[in-house]
Amino acid sequence: MSELQDLARKLLEEGTVQVVIGWEAGRRGLRPVTITDPSDVEKLVFDTRSVHNLATYLDPRRTQVRKLGKPAIVVKGCDTKAVAALLREAQIERDEVVLIGVRCGGVVKDPAGDATLTLETVAPRCAGCDVREPHLADFIIGEEQPEPPQVTSIDERVAELDAMTPDERFEFWASQMEKCVRCYACRQACPLCVCDQCVADKTVPQWIERSPHARGNLSWHMTRALHLAGRCVGCGECERACPVGIPITLINRKLQQIVAESFDFEVSDDPATASPIGTFRDDDREDFIL
Amino acid sequence: MARIGVFVCHCGENISRTVDCAKVSATLKDHPGVVVSQDYKYMCSDPGQTLIKQAIEEHDLTGVVVAACSPHMHEKTFRRAASQAGLNPFVVEMANIREQCSWVHEAGPETDAKAIEIVGTIVEKVKNNVPLETIHIPVTKRALVIGGGIAGIQAALDIADGGAEVVLVEKEPSIGGHMSQLSETFPTLDCSQCILTPRMVEVYQHPRITLHSYSEVESVEGYIGNFHVTVRKKARSVDEDLCTGCGDCQAACPSRKIPSEFDAGLGMRSAIYVPFPQAVPNIPVLDRENCTLFKGRAKGREKDLCGKCKESCLRSAIDYEQEDTLIDEKVGAIVIATGFKLYSVGREQPEGLKGYAEYNYGEIPDVISGLQFERLASASGPTGGQIVRPSDGKVPKKIVFLQCIGSRDPEKGISYCSKICCMYAAKHTMLYRHKVHDGEATVFYMDIRSAGKGYEEFVRRAIEEDGANYIRGRVSRMYRDGETVKVVGYDTLAGETAIFDADMVVLCTAMRPHKGNKNLGRKLSVTYDQYGFISSAHPKLRPVETTTAGVFVAGACMSPSDIPDSIASASAAASKVLGMFSGDELEREPTVAVVNERTCIGCFNCERVCPYGAIEHIDVCNRENEVCGHVARVLPGVCQGCGTCVATCPSKSVELQGFTDEQIFAEINALLTW
Repeated sequence: MSELQDLARKLLEEGTVQVVIGWEAGRRGLRPVTITDPSDVEKLVFDTRSVHNLATYLDPRRTQVRKLGKPAIVVKGCDTKAVAALLREAQIERDEVVLIGVRCGGVVKDPAGDATLTLETVAPRCAGCDVREPHLADFIIGEEQPEPPQVTSIDERVAELDAMTPDERFEFWASQMEKCVRCYACRQACPLCVCDQCVADKTVPQWIERSPHARGNLSWHMTRALHLAGRCVGCGECERACPVGIPITLINRKLQQIVAESFDFEVSDDPATASPIGTFRDDDREDFIL
Repeated sequence: MARIGVFVCHCGENISRTVDCAKVSATLKDHPGVVVSQDYKYMCSDPGQTLIKQAIEEHDLTGVVVAACSPHMHEKTFRRAASQAGLNPFVVEMANIREQCSWVHEAGPETDAKAIEIVGTIVEKVKNNVPLETIHIPVTKRALVIGGGIAGIQAALDIADGGAEVVLVEKEPSIGGHMSQLSETFPTLDCSQCILTPRMVEVYQHPRITLHSYSEVESVEGYIGNFHVTVRKKARSVDEDLCTGCGDCQAACPSRKIPSEFDAGLGMRSAIYVPFPQAVPNIPVLDRENCTLFKGRAKGREKDLCGKCKESCLRSAIDYEQEDTLIDEKVGAIVIATGFKLYSVGREQPEGLKGYAEYNYGEIPDVISGLQFERLASASGPTGGQIVRPSDGKVPKKIVFLQCIGSRDPEKGISYCSKICCMYAAKHTMLYRHKVHDGEATVFYMDIRSAGKGYEEFVRRAIEEDGANYIRGRVSRMYRDGETVKVVGYDTLAGETAIFDADMVVLCTAMRPHKGNKNLGRKLSVTYDQYGFISSAHPKLRPVETTTAGVFVAGACMSPSDIPDSIASASAAASKVLGMFSGDELEREPTVAVVNERTCIGCFNCERVCPYGAIEHIDVCNRENEVCGHVARVLPGVCQGCGTCVATCPSKSVELQGFTDEQIFAEINALLTW
């Protein structure tokens, strides 16, 4: 812990950055914090409850964070995938941010809950993690961590849905979408939803029905998912932010699988590899063209 | 308030046979916003167009919907008519009730209902159309011709004679292409070299033609009127400015046993060589793969093993260290004339094709290809024009010709007719009989296809005057039988097996596209067919244009064609290029993408997906005039209006003019609420 605090203090005191974005202990577990004063670095905490994907604060449109100055953010390996996506899509420049990478052995589902990692508490996305070492970071701190408990991966839940008949599956999603109140917390929490004007807010023409009823909800969730196809880093912040408990990550994961099958592509922490859906290549597949 | 006119075309009977045009017209009359609705037998005819023009003036129309054929066919026609009547051409749209309705359905109320839906949908779209202005772009009056065969030569000469500059790029060391390898040409039997070589020299000496031989097109950027082409000039190992073409190096070269490409493998050449005596330019090229010196270097020898050519050169023109150079050329138009290659009969075949293992080509030396026969019959060939057997040099007394080798045979992978083989087989029998008077020429054919001026007469002459023996049928097997080749076929007219002991067999192989066509097609964003032949923009109406504006096509790279066809298409392409160069500016349709810079988030996904490189970055400044970000902008001259950026943009900040979200939305809405 002191390694993180010392580094944060050094970066702030030297003026390398003006703000460090990390976690502090709040009344209900850990929560994100911005530190601008070097004397406040003792607040910084990193443990298994450091669940949030702080990369979402790098969106240049978050003016309240941006006005604090050049940031350093504390990232887990999985968070660096989101940073890589922002770099890839020209939303931030690499020299505009300092990445403090922390070696991670898995996080829990709920930052306000029990900090011990067990099969019950561990976040599903930690199963099969390939970025426990955050390579993209400027500083990599912390000790080598053991592998997280291998919970049932999200793929198995997707497989359960795939096993349903189309009618059953539609029924499942219709009942899930019915709950949506269109608060757009999923959009706010997503580190990759960076548009100034979201298509869901567009009224001329209005592609997506705006009131919260099943049809508009379905268009919203499908559009959101499609916009993330080949981009989603699987952090699961959308689902965690959802106040009504829609299993959004299942849709995201399904799309990830389709992209992997169709284009042999997995989202990585390398900013140089562009998503297959966002690129044109001479040898792109065209067998779907009649 | 929209005032739309609907004009339903019968297209002769093409539409009216299955769609009740009067009913469509009458129904649309009651559609909101439609003030006039009429039907007519031929809307594209002069009286039809007049009808539309009059309606525009009489009813003060704000939009026009022509329910007829595909917009590919006549959209331009009707837009022009509307603009003559004072209406902006881009408020005129086609509702396709022919290809998408009458041609694919049977007559009945459902078909009528579908036609009505299609037209109504387009009416809703047109209500959202806005007047657009034609885009004007500058044009560089310089053309690139890719390929220096007869088509490329003809195109280059026609363009240059028309007053524009031409850059001619040829992959081989000399221009001339396949035609330079031919002996005599049908149907007049004039000597191929005699009519070709003067044209080659003309190219070389033309003040407006720049020739890059032994070069290839590396990359192409830009758009119609403004292409930037990078040409890779391959290392020739000979300084073109110093070389006089004396041939001393060729004589000095000790590697002399390399099969000559020009002689189709029947003759030999040296490692440094001029492909044939009349080559243009008459400058040798060093074949590094077969050169003793370079082979030694490749094996890592420190001391060069040879160097005879360099020693022999009095002008010190040989340069072993020469490297490929890249040349930038700016041109306004491109003509593709990459020609063809011949089907290779061997067992090994590229993707999707099967060989003719049953003919034992390559194993029996006296089974040769048509091109090899050309070299045997040619005065400049390895035998000086004497027709002899490759195996023992004897004059063959019996030759069997097999037509349709690798063509008209879906089983072997090629369904098309190679078009030239019937004629060249007839020519071969004549050339043979003119040289070997007691020789016996037999041709196995499937059909004789001799459509062309003087062609049928030519074939009859081969049969009647020169005594060629034509047998309708295919050959199933060939094998070596002592000194002769046993040819086992079937005469389908006589209904019996036909077996010959031939001294020599000639396989009339089909024309195939160059394998580089696909690669070139991608570089130029030009489409090609399933075989790899370059596709025309329209097979009938725009035969020498391609799907990319400013890129034209000529000769056998489109489809099998003979010399007169190739020259005709080359001249046609040249006239298209000259037409393009006749003004100082080009006009382009404004159906291009436009970025809403206020909502663009600068992710540049559009840039990554754009096949045409039409996206540029522009700075966004804050109130203090400091650069605070970047957004995308579309270069209207480059954009082809494909809409990929529109689909990719996450914030819906790109729209395609003429196909805006609002227009598409109106169309979908119309379909759903019908």
